[in-house]
Amino acid sequence: MNDATVVRAVDARKSYDGTVALDGVSLDVREGEVFGLIGPNGAGKTTLVRALTGTADAEGTLELFGDAAGDSDRSRIGLLPQEFGPPGRLTARELVGYYGGLYEESRRVDDVLTDVGLADDADTWYENLSGGQKRRACVATALVNDPDVLFLDEPTTGIDPAGRRALWGLLDSLADSGVTVFLTSHSMEEVERLADRVGLLRDGELVAVGTPAELVVEHGGPARFVVAGPDVGAGADPLRDAGFAVEVGTDELVLGDVTPAELGDAVTALADAGVDYESLTWTEPTLEDVYLRLTGETFEGTFTPGASAVEGDDAATDGAPDEDGPGGAGVDDGDASAPPAEVDR
Amino acid sequence: MTRTRRIRAETVAATRSFLRRRTAVFFTFFFPLLLVLIFGVLVRTQPGGGGLFARPDAYYLPGYLATVVLFTPLSRIGSEIARHRDGHRFEKLATTPLTRGEWLLAHTLVNVGVIGVASLLVFGLVTLVTGAEIPVSGDLLLLVPFVALAVVLFCGVGAVLGRASDSQDGVIAASNSVALPLLFLSDTFVSPDLLPEWFLPAVNLSPLTYFSRGVRAVTFAAPDGAGLAGVGAVGNLAILAVLSVVCFAVGAAAVPRGE
Repeated sequence: MNDATVVRAVDARKSYDGTVALDGVSLDVREGEVFGLIGPNGAGKTTLVRALTGTADAEGTLELFGDAAGDSDRSRIGLLPQEFGPPGRLTARELVGYYGGLYEESRRVDDVLTDVGLADDADTWYENLSGGQKRRACVATALVNDPDVLFLDEPTTGIDPAGRRALWGLLDSLADSGVTVFLTSHSMEEVERLADRVGLLRDGELVAVGTPAELVVEHGGPARFVVAGPDVGAGADPLRDAGFAVEVGTDELVLGDVTPAELGDAVTALADAGVDYESLTWTEPTLEDVYLRLTGETFEGTFTPGASAVEGDDAATDGAPDEDGPGGAGVDDGDASAPPAEVDR
Repeated sequence: MTRTRRIRAETVAATRSFLRRRTAVFFTFFFPLLLVLIFGVLVRTQPGGGGLFARPDAYYLPGYLATVVLFTPLSRIGSEIARHRDGHRFEKLATTPLTRGEWLLAHTLVNVGVIGVASLLVFGLVTLVTGAEIPVSGDLLLLVPFVALAVVLFCGVGAVLGRASDSQDGVIAASNSVALPLLFLSDTFVSPDLLPEWFLPAVNLSPLTYFSRGVRAVTFAAPDGAGLAGVGAVGNLAILAVLSVVCFAVGAAAVPRGE
């Protein structure tokens, strides 16, 4: 990564029929950097990608390689739209070859298909590929022109874990070779794994930007130590006497802001009080905690076996204007590290 | 060369996509053939009689060809734009060097090929099953540019309809609404003497009229009308060419770019 700015937005603004999609977004992405953009559905992620790629108008300054977004050298851009649906009756090889043919120079189609793990299905019609394979074929269309900047709007939606990890490895190697990657995702695991820096978009505003570690320190909240068991309630007072902040839950005690060095003291306090417990869990805050805190979203539902639905606020159906389009909720791949049910956050 | 490469890539992809949709291929060719069979074989012409189909069989060849050059480009280009929009393909294409004009040219080339074959079938069927007597001469080669230019023209119009409609259903409804009046009011199946006097100037407003009159001048008889109605094959071809350029340019500008 170097200091050359590849992607730049200054005070980007966009409204759809009175609904604010971008509200003064400013950011810079440097060459070779992987920038992850997170936020609820309808937060403005796709709108920002469109504005930066010049495929939708927006107010403010939007630049790629120092040129206005719509006037930049298109051969240097690779784009994977969120709900991209290429021609269904082309084989994967034909599809990638088609997009490669739109550029003066392009990579060998078979190499690109190998990169995304589709070499064995190269001669299958796109419409007959599985969901994950389709998405990989779409990613291939964004790679075929060997771009210098890659915009990937939820690239791993529908891809199985092995394929996802393979794609992450590919993106890592692209970034190492100097390709700038601008990535949107609902998977905190993906963003935490890939992104050098993360921006969190909420209601069109970029409310936080930093490395994943910086965001966790700044916005993730304290680490938690959970003591679980049917009789752990008796341990609340001894722990408080030992100086811990304790919340009493159902069959559990939650100790906030506990450092690893203090764990021994907590265990000793429980032992001295004769409290029996079944499990001890120490949890550091994650990017997901940052997301939930900054977006104000919570998962308050409980899952009842046999019930038809999970109750509570669902980020995918938050009712906010959804620029991700119809079906946006449907393509929400969920968060691999979603909070467990029955935990009030 | 780069432009050629782009247009070739788009053309090849569009051709493959079309040819692999079997029902689309079938009905593209079946619809005009059905029309010939219904009107040319079942209804038949009654030369010297009154009303519709009162002229010799060869008089109606431009009408049958007009059906092909009119309906197919309108619905195919319009639907293609709707499909592209549904799949966010224009959003992706906007980040490639392919221009809107190149996109429309590529899809127009596919239509010229498809409709060229369909026109050949219609021509053959009309001469075979209706007994239409077509004078054979080198002038018949003018049918090639007539068909090609008409396809270019209506591909441009189809792009405008595709842009204006917000769904594939909307495109089909819009293209039918445009095509049906044009088909019957462009000196094709309905001869001008069946229309009220005051309406005749409106016939000259339809671009299909110049296709129809020009093809008829080549395949049936020299025009005997006054003013624009009396223009010969080359004159109609020239008018059609100008209108094709204008419609293509407007259509290219109408092709969506991005979202």
